[in-house]
Amino acid sequence: MPVLAPLFLLGLAAIAVPLLVHLVQREKRDPMAFPSLMFLEKTPAPFTSRRNLRDPWLFLLRALAVIALALAFARPVFGPRPVIGGVDQRRREIIVLLDRSFSMRVGDRWVRAKAVVDSVIRTLAPGDRMTLVPFDRRANAVTAATSDAAQLRAGLDSLQPSDESTRLAPAITLAQQRLSASDAPRKALVVVSDFQRSAWDLSDDSRMAPGTELAAVDVSGAVPVSDRAVRSVDVRRDRNDDGPAQAIVSARIANIGAAARGVVVQLEVGGRVLTTRTIDLPRDGGAAVSFAAVPMPPTPLPARVVLAADAVPGDDAFHFLLQQAPVLSALVIEGRSGAFLSRALAIGDAPHFEIMSRTPSRVSASDLNGRRLILLADGSFPTGIGAARLLRFVDEGGGLIVSMGDQMRSASWPAAARVLIPGQIRAPTDRSTANGAVLGAMDQRHPALALLAGARAGDLSAARFYRFRGIDTTAGVLARFDDGTAALTEHAVGRGRVLTFGSTFDGVWNDLPRQPAFLPLVQQLARYAASWRDDPRAFEIGASIRPSDLAPASGTDPRWVATAPSGRRVTVGGDGTPAALELTEAGVFELRPGGTPGARPLLVAANVAPAELDFASFDALRLTTALTAAPGAQAVLQSASATETLADREARQSTWWYLLLAVALLLIAESVVARRAVTRTPVVE
Amino acid sequence: MPRAAVAHMSERLTLDPAALSRIGNLELVARWVVEGFISGLHRSPHLGFSTDFAEHRPYVPGDDIRHVDWRVYARTERTYLKTYEADTNTNFTVLLDVSASMGYAHGGITKLGYAKLVAATLAWFSRRQRDRVGLVTFADDVREIVPPSARHLPNVLHALERATASGTGALARPLAKIAQSQPRRGLFLLLSDLYEPAADVLRALGPLTGAGHDVIVIQLLDAAERTFPFADSTTFRDLETGERLPVSPGKVRERYKAAMESHLTSMRSKLGGGRIDYSLVDTSQPLDRVLFDVLLRREFLRTAV
Repeated sequence: MPVLAPLFLLGLAAIAVPLLVHLVQREKRDPMAFPSLMFLEKTPAPFTSRRNLRDPWLFLLRALAVIALALAFARPVFGPRPVIGGVDQRRREIIVLLDRSFSMRVGDRWVRAKAVVDSVIRTLAPGDRMTLVPFDRRANAVTAATSDAAQLRAGLDSLQPSDESTRLAPAITLAQQRLSASDAPRKALVVVSDFQRSAWDLSDDSRMAPGTELAAVDVSGAVPVSDRAVRSVDVRRDRNDDGPAQAIVSARIANIGAAARGVVVQLEVGGRVLTTRTIDLPRDGGAAVSFAAVPMPPTPLPARVVLAADAVPGDDAFHFLLQQAPVLSALVIEGRSGAFLSRALAIGDAPHFEIMSRTPSRVSASDLNGRRLILLADGSFPTGIGAARLLRFVDEGGGLIVSMGDQMRSASWPAAARVLIPGQIRAPTDRSTANGAVLGAMDQRHPALALLAGARAGDLSAARFYRFRGIDTTAGVLARFDDGTAALTEHAVGRGRVLTFGSTFDGVWNDLPRQPAFLPLVQQLARYAASWRDDPRAFEIGASIRPSDLAPASGTDPRWVATAPSGRRVTVGGDGTPAALELTEAGVFELRPGGTPGARPLLVAANVAPAELDFASFDALRLTTALTAAPGAQAVLQSASATETLADREARQSTWWYLLLAVALLLIAESVVARRAVTRTPVVE
Repeated sequence: MPRAAVAHMSERLTLDPAALSRIGNLELVARWVVEGFISGLHRSPHLGFSTDFAEHRPYVPGDDIRHVDWRVYARTERTYLKTYEADTNTNFTVLLDVSASMGYAHGGITKLGYAKLVAATLAWFSRRQRDRVGLVTFADDVREIVPPSARHLPNVLHALERATASGTGALARPLAKIAQSQPRRGLFLLLSDLYEPAADVLRALGPLTGAGHDVIVIQLLDAAERTFPFADSTTFRDLETGERLPVSPGKVRERYKAAMESHLTSMRSKLGGGRIDYSLVDTSQPLDRVLFDVLLRREFLRTAV
């Protein structure tokens, strides 16, 4: 019989009080008054009679009252049927899903969770088999299905909470597979978790087979979580600095619980504390803190923003890399519209655009060295580069953006470079007398335009196009004018990308530069065409990274040796090894290319996923409802029942009420019996 | 009164002494019991009446000063009252044992409490018959005296309410004093638990019976004193002497009961042989049953005389 407040069971020790009273009173009892001793003889009491309880019925009533009172305060809970340890002796297949995500480090959740699993192990009957499956973002059985309690306990003892986030679906799927493969007549699933809201990723298929007994044990406890965490770090160039590059680091601190004053926040770079700030945190709120500018190191250095340790220490530090801002070098071959493009790109900070401007007549092939992007802005073909060189540039992964203005004609392009044009370019369409054309359709799911999909991201449909050139192509159309002709197309050439725009960026054929969306549009088109990938300063735990995406291997050996913050080494990238490194710990991973032990390591910072730091939980009833929704499913729940109502749940916990009633009746009976005992004793005036 | 009527009456008597004791007002209890008792008898209690001078007696507080004999006062400067045969039939004096043993009870009313009810009821009854009523409380000596008088019923009731059980008890000395102070023949009602040998009790009553007084003895005992129902081995303490005695009730119960019954039998035979009206009363008995029994026996006694 589970109880909600087991500490109150200590009250059972109070039985000693009536016991002592009855025994001690027996020994210290006053002499009994009697009118005359003239007919009495001296007969000493035998020793054994002194050990007897006086008034055993009275003692029994008092002891029962104490027991009932202690049980009432302990709040016993009766389930409709015990999940584990039922009277049915048929063989059972039990899967225990044990949440080991980061949030289980809070308070005594992990201790309570292990105690629950241990209690399940204790109830195993001969023939029962149990599989212990710890899960966080992934789920892997720590033991095979076994009846060996020692093996299960050893597996349980080997587990520790991880830094990873929680996902229920993989664990439930694994449980479904294990249970469906079992031939046991009874099947049970026990989920022990804090049921974080962010863990919910179940679909309609996440249902247990009919007849599966289900227990959901919530170990989150009733005590509210109190935690301070560094949620994010932002690093920006210090623009006012004319000297060496400097960075301004700012961090977002979140506070769950009571307000805190004088919280110390430190910025550490390369293991040294560079700056310390003290901030006040409001109750259940957050604060931003910015540190003084620090020199930007020439090579990436591990850094972190650290708070004083609290009850949940894993999120008190945010790891990141302090490094030079990435640079995307672009060549703008400008006609009249070059100024708009150059200025729009120069504002970019992520990445920083390094712009070289040339006219079509003065550009040369050497200008392509080190460039990742070429923008042909309303210009004719760059004859100084040459078709072959331009084609090779794109083929090797460079990006090309071509805008169609007055000077752009397909016929002026050499035949070898025609592959860079998506299709037939039409003659300009003049819509200046009809208030201009607009963009009729845009594929905002495309990465090049996804930036504009947000509610406040700007509206390209407001832009007016007075002249434009239609592009006759059917593939890779990202946007169309209102007459249905293609306005923006994409096609791949080799490893590179070519974006073709049917108008100009100069503000003459359209008013696009005056639209708020112009700046993000141009920058995103540039990033996409150049196949630019942000180089994050920090990843979330659970991310998988391919080292070759971050830095090309210098040697021929494709393997990388990763050293985790805990010192664990993992080899990835080679044959027989994982293709990607899975970040499983908070801290900085070091990746060294295989075969070149002296090479400078590639650093990767990892932090606990923000979703895992959201400690809000859902009712276990939601899980049991979702898992037992299948017709005929049998739910036998420990913490909540899919079929029970709140009244049912209250009814299962209302035993205390009857116990208190029993206490009252026992006390009344005790009064009656005690009164009779008193009246049996002599009354002397 | 016909014997059949007596038997019929005895079946209706159910006044619980414990319930009566909770009323707290002896006068009220006595009046209620007597009136109810008399209405059950259907017989007028008012007997003969005359106006003949009887005697002088000293004035005590509570007497009506209209009956003071001022001529005697003028001669002697002492206040005496003139009493007449028309006022009284006889002197009725209650002798109440207030020794500590009378304060015992085992779950019900104490013996002293029960004795107070009996005394008050009989006093009230006697007063209705124009008897003079008096009271003497004693333990090993006389504690308080209310001389018999036709107007002393309130004094008697008040003295009864004041009486508390204490001290050791012995009959001989107080009864001898009482016999000396009561020259006029009368009726004495002795209420005691009589924890003395029967011969000593008879000897102590000698001065009263020798002076020609009628004596009624009611021995009051709690039921526990006869059955000795105790189970636990314990130390018993004598209420009067304070003496302590370790006793295992299971071992001595039968011998105790035999000794008690022998004592009661001896008391019954000795006092009966001395022409003393003796009754044994259990404090759990209905009060009106005791009253009825006493009066009935008194009538038989007179008939025999």
